[in-house]
Amino acid sequence: MTEHPVISLRDVRKSYGDFELGPVDLSVEPGHIVAVVGPNGSGKSTLFGILMNLIQPDSGDVSLFGGTYPGDEVAIKRRIGYVPERSVGHDEMSASALGEFLSRWYRTWDQGLYQDLLLRSEIDPDKRFGKLSKGVQRRLSFALALATGPELLLLDEPTAGIDPFARTEILEDLSRFVHHSDGRTVVFATHVMEEARRIADHVVLLADGEFLGLHEKGVLLNGWKTFWVDREAEGDVPGVVEVEVGSPTRIVSDSPDETAEALSSENIRIVRKGSVDLEEILSHLARRSKERRRA
Amino acid sequence: MNEKPTEPHIPLRLSMDDPQPMYAQIESQLRDFILAGQLPPGTRLPSVRALAGYLACSVITTRRAYEDLEREGFIRTRQGMGSVVAEIPEEKMAARRREPVETAFREAVRAGRRAGLTEEELRHIIEETLQRDDTNVQGVVS
Repeated sequence: MTEHPVISLRDVRKSYGDFELGPVDLSVEPGHIVAVVGPNGSGKSTLFGILMNLIQPDSGDVSLFGGTYPGDEVAIKRRIGYVPERSVGHDEMSASALGEFLSRWYRTWDQGLYQDLLLRSEIDPDKRFGKLSKGVQRRLSFALALATGPELLLLDEPTAGIDPFARTEILEDLSRFVHHSDGRTVVFATHVMEEARRIADHVVLLADGEFLGLHEKGVLLNGWKTFWVDREAEGDVPGVVEVEVGSPTRIVSDSPDETAEALSSENIRIVRKGSVDLEEILSHLARRSKERRRA
Repeated sequence: MNEKPTEPHIPLRLSMDDPQPMYAQIESQLRDFILAGQLPPGTRLPSVRALAGYLACSVITTRRAYEDLEREGFIRTRQGMGSVVAEIPEEKMAARRREPVETAFREAVRAGRRAGLTEEELRHIIEETLQRDDTNVQGVVS
């Protein structure tokens, strides 16, 4: 455990051609599960690449466990379990050979846990990685990352191509990993909102390379409401993000208290209130950022 | 009067975070909108298929919701005519509107008794709440 945040990014930018990631300002405290969500091509893998020093940012400061690249690279990486989007160079090796290989690099390697994970995932330890199905490959990569005994797991779409049953098990493993002992952290990318909903404490949203902040999931969910009202307001109502005219008209608000007060002062009746789903909130945030950029 | 039934857009919403099953969410929203007078009698509802398309759910879900609402007397379905909002007698409307409120009050009174409050104190709380209430939610909110 350190007094530093596990991850600290300050004003980090990276561009390729016409794609630009950032500026990213992100601080992740230990003991949490952070879901990085965003559509394909939004910059999730670039962000993970930067965290692993596989991609060097054009500008900004990257620090993990209080150390920086390249000086502290070995010390940092000993504490990280990383599952890239595609595991490269594993194809010819079997699960047991991969385990043996990694165990030499990590003093914290947990052979018992590794065998247990292989057993539970029904992975044949002698079959070559390249011969395994895509889903089993993902599970094996995940098992390898967990067994290195990391303090931080960086997982780039760990559940991509995995069936729903295995997905549930992976999510349970993640949750167990974080809550089993103090100071462990998971940052995982996903485009399956259900995963963020189930296990994440915080959500990082990326849209088209733009970093839309680190949000505490509960705060985000509580901060939005949908109201069904008997008529539309004449003027601007504060907090209103979307209006769907109908019987009754539905509005979405990101400051429900202010909105309700303004509606009340216009004598507009609220017929019903409801919560707003994470998907919907995130798509509003993404759309808003797009409009801002276009303007 | 023999007006042609209108078919307004009804912005229903299904929530994945809601523990209620989807058909129950549809029922509860339509019930609220009908009771609040937003969907007056004779209002045409979308077909089960159109509604399933709009909400991205199965027709079994929307059919179940319509069947339940029909059994409760909120909507009428005629062969080949689709579903319309039923004429609901005013006293029934009023009773339906009061139902959740009465339930909530019953709960509140029970909670008060459990906490050992006197009737006088309970009345006082209700009075105070009425005066302090700053929301403008009227009608039915379940």
